[in-house]
Amino acid sequence: MKALTANRLADGEVVFWSDGDWVERFGQAEVFADESAAETAEAAAKSQITVAVDPYLIDVAETNGGITPVSYRERLRALGPTNEPGHGKQAAGGADIALLARASGAARSKGRVELIRRK
Amino acid sequence: MYRYDDIDAAMLEDRAAEFREQCRRRLAGEITEEQFKPVRLMNGLYLQLHAYMLRIAIPYGTLNSAQLRKLAWIARTYDKGYGHFTTRTNLQLHWIKLKDAPDILDALAKDGLHGIQTSGNCIRNLTADPHAGATADEVDDPRVWAEAIRQWSTFHPEFSFLPRKFKIAVTGSETDRAAIRIYDIGLRLRRDAEGALSFQVLAGGGLGRTPYLGSVIREALPARHLLSYMQAILRVYNRHGRRDNLWKARIKVLVASLGAAEFARQVEEEWAKTDLAAIDLPDTELARIRAGFVPTGFATLPAASAAFEAAKRESAAFARFARHNVMPHKQPGYALVNVSLKAIGETPGDCSAEQMDLVADLAERYSLNEVRVTYEQNLLLPHVKLDDVPAVHAALASAGLATPNIGLISDIIACPGLDYCALANARAIPIAQDIARRFEDPVLAEKIGELKIKISGCINACGHHHVGHIGILGVDKKGEEFYQLTVGGSGDDDAAIGKIIGPALAADRVAPAIDQMVEVYLRERLGSERFVDTCRRTGLEPFKEAIYADAH
Repeated sequence: MKALTANRLADGEVVFWSDGDWVERFGQAEVFADESAAETAEAAAKSQITVAVDPYLIDVAETNGGITPVSYRERLRALGPTNEPGHGKQAAGGADIALLARASGAARSKGRVELIRRK
Repeated sequence: MYRYDDIDAAMLEDRAAEFREQCRRRLAGEITEEQFKPVRLMNGLYLQLHAYMLRIAIPYGTLNSAQLRKLAWIARTYDKGYGHFTTRTNLQLHWIKLKDAPDILDALAKDGLHGIQTSGNCIRNLTADPHAGATADEVDDPRVWAEAIRQWSTFHPEFSFLPRKFKIAVTGSETDRAAIRIYDIGLRLRRDAEGALSFQVLAGGGLGRTPYLGSVIREALPARHLLSYMQAILRVYNRHGRRDNLWKARIKVLVASLGAAEFARQVEEEWAKTDLAAIDLPDTELARIRAGFVPTGFATLPAASAAFEAAKRESAAFARFARHNVMPHKQPGYALVNVSLKAIGETPGDCSAEQMDLVADLAERYSLNEVRVTYEQNLLLPHVKLDDVPAVHAALASAGLATPNIGLISDIIACPGLDYCALANARAIPIAQDIARRFEDPVLAEKIGELKIKISGCINACGHHHVGHIGILGVDKKGEEFYQLTVGGSGDDDAAIGKIIGPALAADRVAPAIDQMVEVYLRERLGSERFVDTCRRTGLEPFKEAIYADAH
C-alpha cells in the first residue's frame, strides 16, 4: 500500500494527497492499494508546481488496527520532532496521531533515498 | 564591534530585494523548484522534514546586542519562538515559511545579518576563536582577518562554484579553540621575535565520510599576504578538486591524494605567479577593519575582585559556575562568561527568544555590547567585570542558562538529526538528552572532568563525532536507528580522529554504554588524566570489554 506526500510550497508544511487535494493529517491521506493508481496520483501531484514540492510515494501498512507509514522517518514527518512534543502535527492530538505515535518497526524510506540522490 | 560598511549594507538590501522577486516568481509558478532551489539555498533557506529552515550566518561567531535581539524577534515572529545554534556558529530556525522569507531577509539586513555563504559550493561563513580579543594568549584578533576574508570571499566570482563547499577557521593564539585542524583551511596567527605577524596555514582537514586532519602547508606566511595565498590555495583546489564524485570533492581528498608536500608545492607555484599587490589587502583597509574590533570601554580595575571571591565563598553553586564557565580575561578585573545552552534534558544549542533577549540585555549592560557563539553550541559574554559575574550568573540561572558544565560530560554537541534534518539517518537530540540526564549530578560531572561527547545523525558529521572524546554516529540499520561509538578523538590542540569501538548499539543502549565507559575511566585513570588521555594510554580494549561484555 502507498500514500503520497510532499511539503507545501508556501510554508513547507508536510502534506498528504487525498483525492486530488492535499491534507495536513496523515489520518486523512488517501491510501492506494493499487500501484498504478498511486503513480497516476504522483504524476498529477508533480504537475501542481505552485502547490507542493517534490511529491513522492511512501509505503504504508496496517498496524495496531490502522494504517501508518512503514518508515520511521515518515512517521516522524507525520508527527513532528520528538524533542518538542508541542511542535508539529502531534500537537493537535487525536486518534490518528495516537496511532502514529504507537506504531513501531522501521524500514528505510525509499522517498528519502530518492531525495538525497537528487541533491 | 565591527559594523558592516555602506557597501555591505547596500549589498544586503539589494540581495533581499532580489530574493523577494525570486520568491514571488516561484510562488506564482513562473520558475520551477529546480530553478528556484539553488537561489533559496544561496540565501540559507533549506527545505527540511517539517518546514523550511533558515540558516543565518554569524560571521566568526560575533554578535552585538541589537543583532541578537533581532534574531530573537525573528524567532518569535516567524518561527516557534526559538533557534538552534550550530557547530558552524550559525543560527538555524526550523519552522520558517517560504512566504515569510523575504520579510525575514529584509529585517535581518537592517542589522547587518543574512544567510549568505551558509549553503552551496562557495567559501562558507568563517569561524574563529570565540575568545578573540579577550584572551591573554592571543597574538592578534583573528576576527580582523576573518572579516577580511569574508569581504574578499563574498560573491567571489571565481570561487562561487567550487567542486564542493569550503570552510575556513581562524585562531589568534597557540591554543586552538576554533578546531582549525578539521577545516578545509585552518589559520593560526603567530608573531615572530621581531614582532611580525604570520599565519601557520593548514589545508585539507574535514570530517564527513572520510575524515582527515589538516596538514601544515606553510609554517609562516607573512600576514599581509593572506588573501593572495588564499587565492592560490583556492585556485589549485578549483582546478584539481574532483567534480565527478560528490564524496571525493572536498579539498581533503585532493590534499590526501597529492600528499600535503606536493599540494603545498602547487600552491606556492600558483602563488609565485600572483600579482600580490592586486589581491592583498591594503594597509589602510586592514587598519579600518582592525579599528572595528578594538573593544572600547574597559575600566581600569584591580586583577582580583572582592565581590567575585565573596560570592564563591558564599555559594557552592556559584563557585562551581566560576570553576567551569568563567575564564580568565587579558584585561585585569574582567572575565569571559560562558552561557551554557546545554541545560540538562534540553536540546543542545537551542535558545528561546526570551533567552536570546536576556543574553542581549546582559551583553549590553555587562559585556561591552558583545556576544559570541561557540562552535561547541554555547554562547559567551566576552568582557564581563569580575565584580559583575555574580549578577550575570543570577540572571543566567533564572533563565536556565547557567548550567555549570562547559567542557564536561553534559556539554554535548548534537546536530538536529532526524528530528529535523532531511539528510539524517537517526536522531541525535534524544541521545544527548539521555546522556545529560544520566550525568545530571554536577558533583559527578566535575569528578569525571573534561569529556567531550559529540553526536551526529549521519555521516556528514555536522555534530563533529569524529573528534569527540566519545563520538556517536547515528546510522540506519535496516531502517532502525543505531549508533556507532568512537573513542579518543579531539578537535583541540591534541586533535585526533576517534577510533570505532565496536558494533553499533541500539538507541537505548547508548547512555548505559557511556556510563560503562566512564566507570572504566574512573577505575583506570592515573593522576589528573582526562578521559581521552586514559583512552589513549590504555587503548580501546578495557572500554570495549565493558560495553560488549554481555555479547561474549
